Amino acid sequence: MPIHEKSLIRPESLLRQEKLVLDGVDVSGDWSTFIESRVVTDYNEQMEEEIAALPGGEFIHRCWQCGSCTNSCTVNAINPEFNPRYWIYLIRLGMEQELLRDKDIIWQCVSCNKCTYACPRDVMPEGVMKATAHWLELKGHTTPSPAMVFDEVFSDQVFATGKIEEGRLMRGFFARTGQKLTEDWFVRLIRGLVTRLPLGLLARLGWAAVRHPRTRGWRRRRQAMTDYVAEQQVMHRAALRLPPATERRR
Amino acid sequence: MSEAVLVLGGGPAGLSAAHALANAGQKVLLVEKADRLGGAPILSGYARLVPSGEWARDAIGGMVERVRAQPLIECLTDCTVAAFDGAPGDFALHLTNGTTHRVAAAVLCTGFTHFDSVNKPEWGFGTYPDVVTTTQVEQMMSSGKGVRCPSDGREPARVAILLCVGSRDRQIGREWCSKICCTVSANIAMEIREALPKCHVYIYYMDIRTFGLYEGTYYWESQEKYRVKYIKARIAEVTSDGKRLIVKGEDTLVKRPITIPFDMVVHAIGMDPNIDNLTIAAIFGVKLEKHGYLQKASSYSAMSGTTRPGVFVAGAATGPETIDDSIAQGQAAAMAVLGQMRAALRAAAE
Repeated sequence: MPIHEKSLIRPESLLRQEKLVLDGVDVSGDWSTFIESRVVTDYNEQMEEEIAALPGGEFIHRCWQCGSCTNSCTVNAINPEFNPRYWIYLIRLGMEQELLRDKDIIWQCVSCNKCTYACPRDVMPEGVMKATAHWLELKGHTTPSPAMVFDEVFSDQVFATGKIEEGRLMRGFFARTGQKLTEDWFVRLIRGLVTRLPLGLLARLGWAAVRHPRTRGWRRRRQAMTDYVAEQQVMHRAALRLPPATERRR
Repeated sequence: MSEAVLVLGGGPAGLSAAHALANAGQKVLLVEKADRLGGAPILSGYARLVPSGEWARDAIGGMVERVRAQPLIECLTDCTVAAFDGAPGDFALHLTNGTTHRVAAAVLCTGFTHFDSVNKPEWGFGTYPDVVTTTQVEQMMSSGKGVRCPSDGREPARVAILLCVGSRDRQIGREWCSKICCTVSANIAMEIREALPKCHVYIYYMDIRTFGLYEGTYYWESQEKYRVKYIKARIAEVTSDGKRLIVKGEDTLVKRPITIPFDMVVHAIGMDPNIDNLTIAAIFGVKLEKHGYLQKASSYSAMSGTTRPGVFVAGAATGPETIDDSIAQGQAAAMAVLGQMRAALRAAAE
């Protein structure tokens, strides 16, 4: 629903009165309780700082709510619920509960970056969407999306060997996302590769699949990369006031 | 030029006009209603001024000293005008202290009156002690005591500043923007955040008018550096749950009703026409414009003029005005007075 059509009456604040008679008048039906006094206590005053501490969210404080991002948004054109302008506002004011209502669509940003070029204040809304999806995951509000799992398997392998070996990547990804390796399309893909690839290349692939070769001199580079990632993770979790990660990424 | 020029009002515009006239060798009679010079910034105890950041007592106090030290300026305080008759170059001035003077011209620098928030009862001023005005917050800061809740002296943890209190409101016949309240509120919000870093400050606005260069130094600085939060909502009512103030309204950008607790609510009060303007207009024979401020002559052909020749005007007497612009207008009025007097001299010589 586009924001201007949003109703103050929400389904959860409707009271169904099957049989209600007041002063002899039958007033049965749906009652909206939106005007019930409710003191807002769900503000997370640190929310803007939390998002700003994650990569991409750095410039959220510049937003002046003009709506250029939402107007230029590829996803908004398809799904009017996808409203970066609105989410940026919620984050800046700390309306966490309100943001969580949309937790299952925020990740849908396709990173086309039209908003990045439309934004008059250089907020980098695409980065803010990334940071927000990241925030939702770190806070445990959403489970990692398949794309995120793929990225993790991919980078884990790079950190381990300095190389990407596709067979292993796919096996890892399928295992982590609970997909069977016997998926029909996958079996056909493998069969096609085996029958069409030159023997020499197949042999090298097979050897790599068994031996997991490393880039030469990888150990030191790996150390630098993993140290950096670990440092970033510690920073992000601290900014979100989360306890240190129990499992360090390899 | 033996005759004096009347400057009525000892605020920024009047101090500026008197100084400029005396500096050019003109005798000045400076008449002030209150018991001291300085106008609103001194009488109402403003703290640090926009945009210089200087303390009012230093900046405006310095203007007072400059005028006091000028032998060509005679200052009369606790005094107002009883009658004013005559023609340009030769007015008879009767003061409430019983004296009569001949003056060549008059410059009305009679300023404004702060809006009285009691006229917006739904926002709790006068009902709850922790609902205060921007002027009161300025006094808290200039007195050195800091911003505290008047009810029990505690440091507020949450402060709401409501903009447009007594401005842009047909309900109460005030259809003007008071021009400076947005900037002053942003300034106050930053000062609160600086003094009380744990205190959250929210500004409730309809639109923000931190005009000109204030855009960067007040509007954005307050958000980027001081994390002041701006919410687009005109508050419906301010009540209390017995412990804290409860602010109700609708956040129009997210279409969500808001009911939020605050420790202190600040009304960004506007500038009313001087409460004495009807009397001033009758005594000086000048017209008021439709909002009740003194009517200006054309800026293009008769800068600083009123509807009566020989009577000039400067500062917030003509409408909401900044201190800096009031000072500029005071100087402009001095120039207009000198121009009139020399034109008369030249005519006499021919």
